[in-house]
Amino acid sequence: MQDLSTLKVQSKDPWKDPKANGWEVIDGRQELSDRTLEADVVIIGSGAGGGVSAEILSQKGFKVILVEAARLKSSDEFNLNEAEAYHDLYQEGGMRATKDGTMSIMQGRAVGGTTVVNWTSSFRTPPQTLDFWRDEFGVQGMDENTMAPWFAQIEQRLKVMKWVAHNRNNQIMLEACQSLGWQSDAIPRNVSGCWNLGYCGMGCPTNAKQSMLVTTIPAALDAGATLLHSAQADTLIIEGEKITGVRIKTLDDNKIATGATLTLKAPTVIVSGGSIQSPALLLRSNVPDPHERVGKRTFTHPTSFAFGIFDKEIAPYYGAPQSIYCDEFSHRDGIAGQAGYKMEMMALHPGMVGAFVAGFGQQAWDEILQLPNMGGSIAMIRDGFHEQSQGGAVELRDNGEPVLDYPINDYVLEGTRRAHLSMVEMFFASGAKKVRPSHSQADYYNNWQEAQLKLAALDYVPVATGIGCAHVMGGLAMGADDSRCVVNSDGSYKYLDGLYVMDGSVFPTSVGANPQLSIYGVSARNASLLADRLKG
Amino acid sequence: MALDMHRRDFLKTGLFGCALLATGSSLALLSGCSSNDGPAEGYLHLRQKDVDLLLPLTGVVLAQALKKSAASADTALKAYDKVLDGAMPGTRATLFQLFDLMQLGAARWFITGTWAHFNEQDSKTLTHTLQGWFTLDRTLSRMAWKGLVQPLMFAWFAQPQAGLTTGYPGPPQRVIS
Repeated sequence: MQDLSTLKVQSKDPWKDPKANGWEVIDGRQELSDRTLEADVVIIGSGAGGGVSAEILSQKGFKVILVEAARLKSSDEFNLNEAEAYHDLYQEGGMRATKDGTMSIMQGRAVGGTTVVNWTSSFRTPPQTLDFWRDEFGVQGMDENTMAPWFAQIEQRLKVMKWVAHNRNNQIMLEACQSLGWQSDAIPRNVSGCWNLGYCGMGCPTNAKQSMLVTTIPAALDAGATLLHSAQADTLIIEGEKITGVRIKTLDDNKIATGATLTLKAPTVIVSGGSIQSPALLLRSNVPDPHERVGKRTFTHPTSFAFGIFDKEIAPYYGAPQSIYCDEFSHRDGIAGQAGYKMEMMALHPGMVGAFVAGFGQQAWDEILQLPNMGGSIAMIRDGFHEQSQGGAVELRDNGEPVLDYPINDYVLEGTRRAHLSMVEMFFASGAKKVRPSHSQADYYNNWQEAQLKLAALDYVPVATGIGCAHVMGGLAMGADDSRCVVNSDGSYKYLDGLYVMDGSVFPTSVGANPQLSIYGVSARNASLLADRLKG
Repeated sequence: MALDMHRRDFLKTGLFGCALLATGSSLALLSGCSSNDGPAEGYLHLRQKDVDLLLPLTGVVLAQALKKSAASADTALKAYDKVLDGAMPGTRATLFQLFDLMQLGAARWFITGTWAHFNEQDSKTLTHTLQGWFTLDRTLSRMAWKGLVQPLMFAWFAQPQAGLTTGYPGPPQRVIS
């Protein structure tokens, strides 16, 4: 039996004493009165886009203030407690969902953004996606060849390499794909000295994961940037056709405004809050938006799940969560045909399994006791390529909070039915004794023949069909097509001088792969172009 | 979980469900079921009426798990309350509207299939109620299940001691240098 509970994990926390590192860090919780700060560039959000941009611009000599709504939390506090990790490191403590409650949204909220809690999968943007962006939206300068050096630069910076030490959960996919003749390969991961523990989603306790928290943000601070955490961007300051700064509300430990407003003045503001937060900031600020496109075309990689029970131990809670992928069904019907889906595996810890088990009481208890012998897989649909896949819209509640309205339509449901079939077939091909898809009407199936019959009888309707999301993209689409895009291909906002968007919200469709490397690459390119432009 | 209705749900839920949501909160107010008297003692957000409503359900949803840990339903509901603490105020507010609605017999019948208040049902009846609710295909019923039962299960098993009852050996030990 695999048991890591006696293993002692020790690592040096680079954030133990920021002052001793010479880093300027402002804790919003201690800001109780209004004041004004000035910089060359203010960056809102410290995730994949903000972290990369902060490093590049501060190393080019610009005075950068990096703003993050979350409280600074680093490896000494990553205690592998599932309840605490989700409460502290995810948007809405893991309770975020789409407006009608049908899709749970797992999105990070941390210094370092989602890169602190993602599962490290690092894919270059698929060339089919880049071509689609060019052909359909007029995205310029981002084809496979011109992006390759930017991806290579980030892969080197974040030590991205294909993983080799697959846990048993990932071996299920590897063996099944070999047996079924499906494409599969090892996933490149951004880790250095990874202990293969399996806790990427709770904050890496060894700092092996090359998240923004331990790479670009420290480098930006070394180069003179200021980190302002526990501080939420409220509205952009707009004078005429120019952006001149941002109003910030500082937050206490309970994410409640302390009452202080910090005014950050800068001629250049980069919005990097991630899809949902970035469009919401622009909506709250009433930016000019002649075609009313801010927040529109927001995508989620609608993700379904399947669970297999084996006679042998799988221990899905230990080891790199995702290290094998299958692209057999990603582009089977072309780039813009029926929904394509990428398949990967998922880490399963007790809380997560609790949320996924069917039913309640004895039935749920019997299922959760199978955890050591359980495997879990996911299938992510590429949304945004088909005319019936226009994504969702970010809206504001009366109190200014963002909410994503993303109705699950027949396009997604039809793709989910096929994704369920593929995942269930995969589990049986690797020797599972019973398999269940994420559907509230589905019980465990005992063999592939039974599964096909019963899956065909399931009613694929919203809510009953278990669909989640861990990748929010779009909402501030880039491209030359003004009727659908609000950002130019260099990240500049079309209707205000000095405003830039550098995060996943600029993607005009979903990526079709885990998006972090796409965000790093596009942001590195556009932050470098911006630095050159500002240098004149 | 956000539970606002829009046109699509109106079509799926039908007139009765939509009317319930449209008028339910004000009905609940009139009947004294909706109160803004703050959190119940020992809770961060759940009000005493929510606790009275949800505690009997919690005991049945997690019966075997609580027995294994020799824990009370109150402990589990407090863990759920703590999960709600992470949500934005607007998200909590929509969930609380649903709880207000479920104070009303007619709404309880529509959402869960039972008129009787949960604290007037014994555990055998509640098991029957939950079984019926789980198999109801109404959008509102599924949403209520997702907003209550799913996070409740997460809240319980995400706690370190409860997690160990599943066969999970536990995480490595952190040593802070």
